[in-house]
Amino acid sequence: MQQFYDFKINKIKNLSSEEKILRKKNLELFYLNGFPSKKDEDWKFTDLNFILGQNFTNIVNTELIPDEKPFNPINEFEHNFIYLVNGKLISKNFDHEEKDKILISNFDYKNEIILYRENTLNFLNNALAKDGFSLEISKNYKFKKPLVIYNYFSNSLKETIVNNKNLIILNENSELTLINFVDNNSKENFIINTIDDIKLKKNSSLKSIFINNSKNNAYFYKYLKNDLEKNSNLENYILSSGLKLNKFDIEVNHNAEYSSSNIFSALNLSNYEHQEIKTLINHNTPNCQSYQKIKNVLNNESKGVFQGKIFVKNIAQKTDAYQLSRALILDDKAEFNAKPELEIYADDVKCSHGSTSGSIDLESIHYLKSRGIPEKEAYQMLINGFLCEVLEKLNENNLKKFLLKKLESQIHGY
Amino acid sequence: MLNIKNLETIIDNKHILKGLNLNIKPGEVHAIMGPNGSGKSTLANVLSGKNGYITKGDIQFNGERLNDISTEERAQKGIFLAFQYPLEIPGVNTNIFLKTSLNAVRKAKGEKELDTLTFLKLIKEKASELGIDEKFLSRQFNVGFSGGEKKKNEILQMKLLEPTLSILDETDSGLDIDALKIVADGVNSYKNKDNAFLIITHYQRLLDYIKPDFIHVLSNGKIVKTGDANLGLQLEKTGYTSLS
Repeated sequence: MQQFYDFKINKIKNLSSEEKILRKKNLELFYLNGFPSKKDEDWKFTDLNFILGQNFTNIVNTELIPDEKPFNPINEFEHNFIYLVNGKLISKNFDHEEKDKILISNFDYKNEIILYRENTLNFLNNALAKDGFSLEISKNYKFKKPLVIYNYFSNSLKETIVNNKNLIILNENSELTLINFVDNNSKENFIINTIDDIKLKKNSSLKSIFINNSKNNAYFYKYLKNDLEKNSNLENYILSSGLKLNKFDIEVNHNAEYSSSNIFSALNLSNYEHQEIKTLINHNTPNCQSYQKIKNVLNNESKGVFQGKIFVKNIAQKTDAYQLSRALILDDKAEFNAKPELEIYADDVKCSHGSTSGSIDLESIHYLKSRGIPEKEAYQMLINGFLCEVLEKLNENNLKKFLLKKLESQIHGY
Repeated sequence: MLNIKNLETIIDNKHILKGLNLNIKPGEVHAIMGPNGSGKSTLANVLSGKNGYITKGDIQFNGERLNDISTEERAQKGIFLAFQYPLEIPGVNTNIFLKTSLNAVRKAKGEKELDTLTFLKLIKEKASELGIDEKFLSRQFNVGFSGGEKKKNEILQMKLLEPTLSILDETDSGLDIDALKIVADGVNSYKNKDNAFLIITHYQRLLDYIKPDFIHVLSNGKIVKTGDANLGLQLEKTGYTSLS
């Protein structure tokens, strides 16, 4: 296959000579293997090199200066916000909070040299990343209202890749509900490659929600690295339906006792959408809990993938780890692949996983129809019920209502 | 109201109903009794329009041929089936399900759809008549409900949708005596000169509380005997074998 990309470090302004050297090295590492393909075990169900080759002719890294456009704020619940265009921090508002408890700035590439080497996309990110943000919450500070990150993208990103890094630190006893809200009406094909580095200090708690709000032609890859200290708690909700291609690569490191992590995902995929959730839950210390519930509904010619690995180190006794993947396949041409993996070196642990995929229950459809509900509505109701169940644990009422509404519009089409 | 002529059904190559005739007029209560495997539930399923059955013969409902009409349209036209095994619908809130159902039926009848507040007032009222705890209404539909609660939930739906023909498929099975009385009271209070009931049951027990005008004995896919309420008492003593 002819090479369909051309990336240049010198498009990035204001780099020190050390930075340039480091970035060049990473770019060389990327070029060694290019985009990951199905030969790579972690990408066996998402042959990115092939997919991008089919849909792009010449991908370049963008020089574009993000344009400030007004955005449509969410009205359903009160919130703080930061506004990103192509990943660049444009504006922020923390009116509901004590402002001296929150540090927010552009990601500092000069001092935060964080290098990821999990895969070639990480190398590419290390080489090309610019923009992104750093957010740090002070010790003992609990956010009064959620923080929404409005992610917008320029219309002129056709055939480009945007690389960002973000850093989120919750200090001891702090709490935050974060909503990553992606709204993008551009029909152009472009790639977003992001690394989020999340650090949860002792007793801190983060709810992190990802919602995609429009049907679009974007290719997303997000590497989420979560480091959990003692008694910290992470809850992830993924509602990313509507993206042409999306892969969440989630690493959770239980580095100290009594930390817990939860990953919930509800996806309704249609029309050639391809989404993958890959998780790696590392239980490195005793007495930690992890829970994953992944639900997919697959319509038309869509493809869903879940690769979930639970790793339990020999000292991580009393680990409680659970993983469940359920898929509803509504079309003969749709496809779902699940690869659960447990790697356990401790002997006193509770680890289980389950994976089911099947079609919709026709007895239930008959039941709903026998109550006067038309067939199409009956299907939507069951799909709704199947996916909405993932949000059961959320207890913020207005936020939950908002998410249920978004999920419903993802099911019914935008 | 309901006229069934020479109904035959086949499912999975099995010939179940073999020429069934039945006429039900407004205001009447009919009971169908019969041994296991005689085709009672098949009749209920066929009347509800369930897929998978090959049928011959004619089913007329209020002068309209029912055979080729979809399940949802039958419900909208006033046929209600209380299921022998009511389904659980995970993730679907009971109130939302019931409201969707009621409004679908109202819409088809050309009536105004109910807004949430009006609906909630109505459903609370109907639920309390049946001794159904309000908290069930905000739970997932039938999920974790006991057998008795599920059956009561069927009767609640019947009273909500106000059908003209209600088919109760072994609604008495799995009910304790108190729940049985509540269900029977629910039926009796709904019964009037314009609607009708078809009660499918194995036992006389339910018929002690809901007095049928006719009892039919279904055996091997056909009605082999029809009588009044006394037939049930007689069968209780002699069993079905005496009829075949």
